[in-house]
Amino acid sequence: MAKIKIDGELWERVKKAAEAAGYASPEEFVTHVLEKEMAALEGGAADEEEIKKRLQGLGYIS
Amino acid sequence: MKRRDFLRVTGTGAAAAAAGGLAPLLEACAGKPKPVGRKVIVLAIDGMDPHLVRRFVAHGGMPTFEKFIAKNTFMTLGTSLPPQSPVAWSDFITGAGPGVHGIFDFIHRDPHTLEPYLSISRSFPPSKTIKLGRLIIPLSGGKVENLRRGPCFWEILSRHDVPAIVFKCPANFPPVETDARTVSGLGTPDLRGTYGTFSYYTDDPPADADEFTGGECYPVRLWDNTFAADLVGPPNTFRAGAPPAKVRLTVHRDPTRDLAKISWDGGEVVLKRGDWSEWNRVRFRLAGPLADVAGMVRFYLKEVRPQFRLYVSPVNIDPLEPALPISTPRDYAGQLARRAGRYYTKGFPEDTKALSHNVFGEEEYLAQAEIVLAERMRCLEETLADFDDGLYYFYFSSIDQNTHMMWRTMDPQHPLYQPDAPPQVKGAVEHFYRAMDPALKRVLAEVDDKTTFFVISDHGFAPFYREFNLNTWLLNNGYLSLLDPTRRDETEFLENIDWARTVAYGFGLNALYVNLRGREPHGIVEPGEADGLAGELAARLEAYRDEETGDRVLVKVYKSRESYRGPAAAAAPELILGFVPGYRLADESALAEFPRRVCKVRQDKWAADHCIDPGHVPGVLFCNKPVAARAPALRDLAPTILKEFGVPAAPEMTGRPILG
Repeated sequence: MAKIKIDGELWERVKKAAEAAGYASPEEFVTHVLEKEMAALEGGAADEEEIKKRLQGLGYIS
Repeated sequence: MKRRDFLRVTGTGAAAAAAGGLAPLLEACAGKPKPVGRKVIVLAIDGMDPHLVRRFVAHGGMPTFEKFIAKNTFMTLGTSLPPQSPVAWSDFITGAGPGVHGIFDFIHRDPHTLEPYLSISRSFPPSKTIKLGRLIIPLSGGKVENLRRGPCFWEILSRHDVPAIVFKCPANFPPVETDARTVSGLGTPDLRGTYGTFSYYTDDPPADADEFTGGECYPVRLWDNTFAADLVGPPNTFRAGAPPAKVRLTVHRDPTRDLAKISWDGGEVVLKRGDWSEWNRVRFRLAGPLADVAGMVRFYLKEVRPQFRLYVSPVNIDPLEPALPISTPRDYAGQLARRAGRYYTKGFPEDTKALSHNVFGEEEYLAQAEIVLAERMRCLEETLADFDDGLYYFYFSSIDQNTHMMWRTMDPQHPLYQPDAPPQVKGAVEHFYRAMDPALKRVLAEVDDKTTFFVISDHGFAPFYREFNLNTWLLNNGYLSLLDPTRRDETEFLENIDWARTVAYGFGLNALYVNLRGREPHGIVEPGEADGLAGELAARLEAYRDEETGDRVLVKVYKSRESYRGPAAAAAPELILGFVPGYRLADESALAEFPRRVCKVRQDKWAADHCIDPGHVPGVLFCNKPVAARAPALRDLAPTILKEFGVPAAPEMTGRPILG
């Protein structure tokens, strides 16, 4: 598995944010963020209209 | 490599990204468990309300329930906080609360990006691709992840060699990998990746066609009694920009008779006016002969002339050729379909949106709901044929969905009540309660002296007369600010919020979040101040009265710090709103929009709900054994069932066994 270097101060912020957001570990949080950014760069992410359509398929929301 | 194996590796668009995994290997390794000499049967009836049970039993149309109640336990069952189906059934599955399973609402937002998503599952596109001309070939499979955390009680049973059949339990998509025979329930999308998108082809589109939600209207023009149109399928991630894959439909109207023929590559069907078709396979081509993905639809020919109206169901995952994992073993969904006929695979099959948008009239909606129920009864029969021993769980959605839509027809106080509606419309809710009587009778035939038997529901019901706009209230009271107040009617998904001047926001059907520093990307409330702010908001919301009626809107506003315990609790909203019966959050507020009025009359036919205070919408608990617990709740069922098999509860389970 590849390793990358990250600024110490940023890492501390990442750890706090990961804990506050309920991620199992800072690594999981970083992986999740990178996956999403890569998906967006590669054109695979759903746009807002698509997200809205998915949510509105629920009867609870019109 | 066979085509099917290739698709497993590459993924077939976002909808099929999860194909593959370890399931085939597990199936090959799984042996048939030895009999355990005990049975636990759970008949799960989503939304069955204890008050309505008593009322309809008294009317005399539910004799099996009446006899069962006379000799056995019938009591209320505590629901979840909040009482939403994904939360409630996650309580059931894990034997614990949202602090353990992490499902707090139908809709969550990513705390880091504030991107909204459905709480039950999330799909991730393929992470590695190569481009070949216009094609983008996935090199590594995408995935769909079940976001529920914590234990799953039938997985524990499987580890102890107790066999299990679990049909359509909500919040189990993708299904947990076990040796149990399971079919996924609520959370299972259609092939487009939505919770359901119907297609409506007509030469007379309604004025609000552009505003349809949960469906698409396609205006058509008939030339020489013929038109062609596309049926939209999953995003095609083999193509740049992932445009939707499509199947071309050609429709011929008979020149004189009320008939139409619908044909497509690989199939055709002829329907009379008012006919429903059986399930038809449609195949979406993604990369020429390299890859395609199968789905299935039902057609309903609503009108032939003078106007032409054709409804096509959401493209369901075909259980005979599933593009996504919808069962364990992977072929169990197909085994059932071969014996019981194909069946709706998407989470909630009743097409409530088609009724809300008047694509269906009342009777047409009820006819579709009957199709769903008939399919479900056939699946009940076939899954019972597979059941000898261990756990059996079977789920019905009919009462939940039809109470949401048809309560207004039996409630003279409802703003949408129609005094002159036909009797079958006014009696629809009672009809579907009565329809559970033969299901109970059939299941009771399997109950013997070694069987513990439950009928349960996840929540009850209340009318939905008036809507409350939480975000408008926060805006009016200075807790939230907009970047551009002139665009308040145009924006959604938190996009117009001025985070530097916002301390709290609503998102989801019962949730209020503090804009917390260190969690939200632009958080301004220090963690040490969050409790005080949450307390202030709770007190003010509980004191709020509807300006038009003078009525109180919220019974109680719950603080998650006091209500949730467990590793997932840190991700919870700070407050959970417990509405007075008759009120619920407005749809717009759930997606962080800002309508002008805080409260207004409910006008949608989805006019009864349960996303209110949990104390007012308990579920039902029927049991053939005495229940010792005074106030049993959903989360108690998992440890109770485990104990019946002599299996210890998982350490995360906070529920307790309820039988004497």
